[in-house]
Amino acid sequence: MGIRIICLLSFISFGLDARPVSYTGGSTIMTFSDNLKNSFYYHYSPSYKYSVGIENIKDKYFSDDYSYMRFTYLLNRKNTKDSQRNLYFQSGISSKGFNEFFYGVHGDWETRRFFIGFGLKETEKKIQDYLEQYYQIGVAPYLGDYGDFHTWIILKAKENSLENKWSTYPVLKFFKGNIFMEFGYHKQTNWDVHLMYRF
Amino acid sequence: MKKILLLLVFTSITWAENPHDHMHNSHEGHLHEKLVDGKKYEVDPERFDRFIMDLKDSQIAVLNVKGMVCDFCARGIEKTFKKEANVKKIDVDLSKGKVLIAYNNTQKITFEDIKEKILINGQNAIDMQVINL
Repeated sequence: MGIRIICLLSFISFGLDARPVSYTGGSTIMTFSDNLKNSFYYHYSPSYKYSVGIENIKDKYFSDDYSYMRFTYLLNRKNTKDSQRNLYFQSGISSKGFNEFFYGVHGDWETRRFFIGFGLKETEKKIQDYLEQYYQIGVAPYLGDYGDFHTWIILKAKENSLENKWSTYPVLKFFKGNIFMEFGYHKQTNWDVHLMYRF
Repeated sequence: MKKILLLLVFTSITWAENPHDHMHNSHEGHLHEKLVDGKKYEVDPERFDRFIMDLKDSQIAVLNVKGMVCDFCARGIEKTFKKEANVKKIDVDLSKGKVLIAYNNTQKITFEDIKEKILINGQNAIDMQVINL
């Protein structure tokens, strides 16, 4: 029920100002790995306001494989000369059936020097529902020009209701051109790895 | 959790800002010298000279753009304009929030057209000046 209401509200809000999830007509492929899952995700942005995609998941916690049809909508963006703020709605329906899905929000605010982000995601499964959340704050150690190799040093804290404990750890983000890489490590949750290519 | 999400969605409806509200009128027609040296647009003269070094019979659209804080985010601007046959060259200056676009001299440049193309990438062009070389 909740997902239907949120989807409906998101569609209603299509007239709002928003920015691209990618740029209009842009595609993104990404792979992500952490203590809960390995995933491969492709999305396409028909408009700068939203993206649709498919994510294949190897679920480490429940030892399961499935896919999500995903929909992400940028609820709000505030551009200023020196900063940008975003709020996204994200959702996905599982290949296991309509009664397995996720929904959530994530947001960020950044300047060329500083970054703050958060995410909340509720996953509903037949076996067990769970909530994931993260918060991060970062700084760019140097300001690169357009086309340069860019680096961010991030402190990330995350928690999920399956394990019910917080992990706080450093994350390094790098990007150059259309390629983005993110690496984080915590002794309990091991590696977070996120690779992305936009085209 | 569901209540929080619903609240955020509702909040976003009132929170949302229309980028068109912040668009100003085009400033086409100002003098080249005034633009390059002028403080209003703060064009880096060295960067500008490098940009026009190999250009002839061109006109340069100089845009102030809001929200261009990230290299990864600004990629779409370059990609969009490079697709156009009449665009010779483009330069993105993240530090000053500027985009320089070199067009053929015959091309009619309108701020509305460029503004829309930047908007579909998620940034807001707030003004423009055109320099004829």
